[in-house]
Amino acid sequence: MNGSIGIIVAISLFGVGTLGLILRRDLVIKLLALGLVNTSAILCLLSLDSQATSAPPLLVPAYTQQMIDPLPQALVLSAIVINFAILALALVFVMRIVEQYHTLDPQRVEHEVEEERR
Amino acid sequence: MTPAYLVLCRIALSVLSVLLRKGHRQLLVLAHLIDAGLIGMLFVRLYTVGECECVLGPWTAATSIAFSVDRIGLTFVSLAFALSVAVTLYTWRDALKPYAFLLLNLLVGACYALSFTKDLFNAYVLFELITLSSFLLVGYDRKPCQIWASLRYLILSSFGMTIFLFGIAVAYYHAGTLHLDALASAVAANPSSPWITLSAALLVTGVSVKAGVFVFSLWLPSAHAEAPPAVSALLSGLVIKMGVVELFRLSGVFPLETTLLVLGFVTAFLGLVYAVRTKHIKRMLAFHTLSQIGYLLIGFGAGTESARVGALDYAVAHGLFKGLLFLVVGEIATLAGSDDLDQLVQHRDRFPRACRWMLIVACLGILGLPPFAGFAAKAVLEAGIHSTLVHALVALVSVGTAASFAKLVPLLSRPFGGPRCAVPRAVGYGWLGAAILFFLPLSRLLVPQPIWLTTFNALAFVEALAAVLLGFAVYRLLQHVPWRLPRNIFRIEEALTAVLAGFILVWSLLAAA
Repeated sequence: MNGSIGIIVAISLFGVGTLGLILRRDLVIKLLALGLVNTSAILCLLSLDSQATSAPPLLVPAYTQQMIDPLPQALVLSAIVINFAILALALVFVMRIVEQYHTLDPQRVEHEVEEERR
Repeated sequence: MTPAYLVLCRIALSVLSVLLRKGHRQLLVLAHLIDAGLIGMLFVRLYTVGECECVLGPWTAATSIAFSVDRIGLTFVSLAFALSVAVTLYTWRDALKPYAFLLLNLLVGACYALSFTKDLFNAYVLFELITLSSFLLVGYDRKPCQIWASLRYLILSSFGMTIFLFGIAVAYYHAGTLHLDALASAVAANPSSPWITLSAALLVTGVSVKAGVFVFSLWLPSAHAEAPPAVSALLSGLVIKMGVVELFRLSGVFPLETTLLVLGFVTAFLGLVYAVRTKHIKRMLAFHTLSQIGYLLIGFGAGTESARVGALDYAVAHGLFKGLLFLVVGEIATLAGSDDLDQLVQHRDRFPRACRWMLIVACLGILGLPPFAGFAAKAVLEAGIHSTLVHALVALVSVGTAASFAKLVPLLSRPFGGPRCAVPRAVGYGWLGAAILFFLPLSRLLVPQPIWLTTFNALAFVEALAAVLLGFAVYRLLQHVPWRLPRNIFRIEEALTAVLAGFILVWSLLAAA
């Protein structure tokens, strides 16, 4: 994929994800939006150094083209694992919230928590 | 390889603590003994050989995992160790589940590693590891309010770290490195480039979400207030200090002086306003943490060596006395069945003597009275500020700190009565209390000799006393003034919007500078 297209897609994904996080009043959709935001950073990291003519970073004699930088590809593996862990744990906590308050609306949860505190 | 062993030991013991059915506390004691030995060896090496970089594997520091053993890293490793010991003693008689030991070891191990790292991506991974372990620790008791506070913390932290990752991408694309020293050379070679502004804004925004900067870290008051006392102590004393260390390291790479000064004043002022108004003691301590982070940022942004070193020194001092305050307040709030200040004053005769004495020590430390920890660090920081306006504003922050703590005075009276505290807890309190009391000689590790000699004079003593007296007077004046502060800004949606607005502010400030 061409690098600049990747960056445009990444920024768009970040925008859509952020809007979802701010505007949607559903915790599961908020977490999906957070997943989009996380993915957008990974896409940005990969796209910044990629060009349509570059070869994959493999030490194979058949490749004569210039290879793309392998470091961002190594970095995103860690980022993907971390984001997966965050989403999985956050979903477990959302389940606990739903069990307790029977709602996915963060503002209602906030209200219930404030009531309990009083 | 000593710093690597320090981290690996904690990770190995955290895995072991899940596999074993019993003996978790013995493992934790073993971890602390090993840590003490390794930290001692690192101190000896620092004084004999000097600062060095340990690289894992046969690669260079730029392409491998590297640990920089410098004075800053070692000081914060010592802070992590001190708080870990205190928390272990505090929870000695609590029936903790095995995964609590796993999370505690992981959290402390990650903090050790982050203190030593100068690589941006390693910092990202370690920040996320700290987020995951502290997020699970905040919700440890599984109370709904804790789960909600930790979920907010996770969403906002993850959003902040994504912005940090964008910053890493921009920095790597343009500089070709993620090592802070190499990045500093690239920035120095082309200081006016727009990519520097963009990557600095993204990195500072990401770290600020973790570091307790007011506009960015609106998850902090509820997470620190709702967490179990031992976890609050670790969050406030250690976890946000990791963000502070990273901000300090970034301020050595990018030209952040104006940005940090503005963020510092905003954070200090808003934190104090909220701290003065709240009547829930744990929430007050959380807001106070925010305000003190502002104080640190002012030191980083002041632009002199003395102010920067003094701010770092104050970060360590703050870690110690805020850790102690959260532990003591946690115990007395549990005894009183409430963290409302009026309720606590009513039940103060039930509080153990050790708690009252330690509350006095921690409050004297935080107020910056000699010879306690806050005085030593504040004196060094303020000696490095040359602008009269900045100095006046810093003095105002000190007065505000005293005003916010004036409401604790009724709790501090009659320290000689009351029941005895459990022995391990009393030892834990004593451990942190002694560190606060003897901080003046301890801080000589961080503060260079010439700064040290010129800092401590009669004026510093008078300033500290005057700030406390003025603060108490201000509190008396404001005590009965009815004013309400917006509380909706702490909801997820508003907090995320604040992070975006903060990013635009930081970017504008960097572009204008």
